[in-house]
Amino acid sequence: MAKQSFVTGQVLTAQQVNDLQTNDFNQTVSAKTASYTLVAADKGTRITMSSTSATTITVNTGLFAAGDTLFIQNLNTGVCSITAGTATVDTSASLALAQHEGGTLYFTSAGVSTFFKAAGAAASSGGMTVITSGSLSTTSVSISGFSGYNSLLLEINNPVVDVSSQMAFRFNNNSGGVYSQAGMSPLTNTILNGGPTSTARAGFATYNLSTTADNTSVFISVNDYDSTVYKNINMGTANGSDAIFGNVRFNDTTAITSIQITTSGGTSNFTGGTYVLYGVK
Amino acid sequence: MKPQVKIVNCETGEEIIRDATAAEIAQMETDAANYAAEQAEAEAKAQAKAAAEGKLAALGLTTDDLRALGL
Repeated sequence: MAKQSFVTGQVLTAQQVNDLQTNDFNQTVSAKTASYTLVAADKGTRITMSSTSATTITVNTGLFAAGDTLFIQNLNTGVCSITAGTATVDTSASLALAQHEGGTLYFTSAGVSTFFKAAGAAASSGGMTVITSGSLSTTSVSISGFSGYNSLLLEINNPVVDVSSQMAFRFNNNSGGVYSQAGMSPLTNTILNGGPTSTARAGFATYNLSTTADNTSVFISVNDYDSTVYKNINMGTANGSDAIFGNVRFNDTTAITSIQITTSGGTSNFTGGTYVLYGVK
Repeated sequence: MKPQVKIVNCETGEEIIRDATAAEIAQMETDAANYAAEQAEAEAKAQAKAAAEGKLAALGLTTDDLRALGL
């Protein structure tokens, strides 16, 4: 229920009082199933998001006042990200809510808010958390802001492009010859190239991409990604016609702060497929 | 139309799609040229293999015959 305004001398009805009491004991819920932009009437309510795809809840300025609060929670598997529209949203935690995560959005002025993430879904040691997920699109997808885990696991499912090309991965958008890789294709009995990749290759784990969905699945795991030593990566892929597994060494002592998923055909775009990035504590 | 890139910041939840920068476009062109070269090399190898197999067949030989000779 949105906040009510009463005037001097007004006689309250039983319904009005009951509605107020109901909001105290059973907070008004505004259920969403797709990305949503907050409105003034959301003040004091609980916003629930339920979607299997990534969604956003956008916060704009001029709708709330200092001291206003509302609760936001994510009920489904798609990551729900609280996004600063024209307002500022600060937090000491992540604004990306995995399933069963939530917290209070508190406004210190009309255009400034802080998100206080509630405890509950934080992964314990060895636990895995969905950091982000979404659809592949454009020529390249760059993911950053995933600090605080021991290792990362990136899954790519069913990528499709508009022009036949290859998919390659990079760290920190490093396009130098810093990726040593070796692999094997058991189905074709082929040993794949090892040694440093050329500068022109500028990435690793290149897989052929099709213009039609072929159920290709790719995984990449990176241990100690934020360390300042060379990083070792395990990877694998499979589709209807091939299966490849192998290892990569990222010959750079810089901590990995971003991952790029690219179509190395250069002029092609992802037209389908999804990514999920997990963090392991 | 300029190629675009998708930027995802997990910390802030921000996702944007923007036009690629000149440096990114240059890298894409390098990638495209490299991919085309690899495709051409693979095609040339396949054609050379088919031609060699044709010559063997003309001699009444197969690749199994060559393997039997330890070649």
